[in-house]
Amino acid sequence: MKQTDPHRCHENCLVLFERLSEYIDRELDAPTCKDIEAHIKACKPCQVCLETLKQTVALCRNLERRQVPDTFSLKLKSAIFDLVDKKAD
Amino acid sequence: MPNPSEKTKNDDKDTELIRSINDGRQDLFYELVNRYEKSLYNFGLRMCDNPSDAEDMVQDTFLNVFKYLEGFRYETKFRNWLYRVATSACLKKKRRSKYAPDRELSLDEFLPANESDVSVELPRWASQPLDQVLDGELAGVIRQALLDLPEKYRLVVVLRDVEGFTTQETAEILDLTPTNIKVRLHRARLFLREALKSYYEAD
Repeated sequence: MKQTDPHRCHENCLVLFERLSEYIDRELDAPTCKDIEAHIKACKPCQVCLETLKQTVALCRNLERRQVPDTFSLKLKSAIFDLVDKKAD
Repeated sequence: MPNPSEKTKNDDKDTELIRSINDGRQDLFYELVNRYEKSLYNFGLRMCDNPSDAEDMVQDTFLNVFKYLEGFRYETKFRNWLYRVATSACLKKKRRSKYAPDRELSLDEFLPANESDVSVELPRWASQPLDQVLDGELAGVIRQALLDLPEKYRLVVVLRDVEGFTTQETAEILDLTPTNIKVRLHRARLFLREALKSYYEAD
């Protein structure tokens, strides 16, 4: 992945593009990670591609969680109470 | 009924509780509800975007769990099994075509159409720390983009990136191969990234 020929570089960008999520998730073997890191170091568009994808994943991981509405929580527990009660009979 | 003294490979904080419930302490089922109702409700919101559908999904899930808990196999984590039941309830609730019609996403659609579309500068939304960019507006863009995803991709990205399941666990929950999960996850992430890019480039 270290070639500087533009055509080869483009090919390497495509290979990397397909594997970026696995790279982010650390699901690739060490030699493949090393190749990717070498390519990214030398290829600005791929750096941007990786960073924007990483940020997208981070945003999903940190989405705020809403509280369960009290009215629903009570309704749910009441439905379960009926089941527990029925089973106990 | 498994022997309560027998340790299984997936013994976690839920296992003991489930053994007690299955041994007759059904009143403890409320504890399971307390542990998971918030997670499941938020999972429902990501999948349905309709609080009423999300509530129905949570209720259906817990009622099914109550019904089938005696058959729970202790070799799997309860949380994984719970989300399997929830996923099935979600699919029953789905409002086909209201949001995302089912369609395949291909990698090609996320490649720049030509050289001039290739960005060499990191956009602001991706270069700042999360706590500075994750405001209500950006969270809204992500939430909407999740809903715009075709369902089979949305399920994978919600389970993996929002709920935090591993590739293997997600594969078990959805009955798919890990390879399939990875393919869908990557396309889903690219779709979300495009939505963020489009939103900020349109400013």
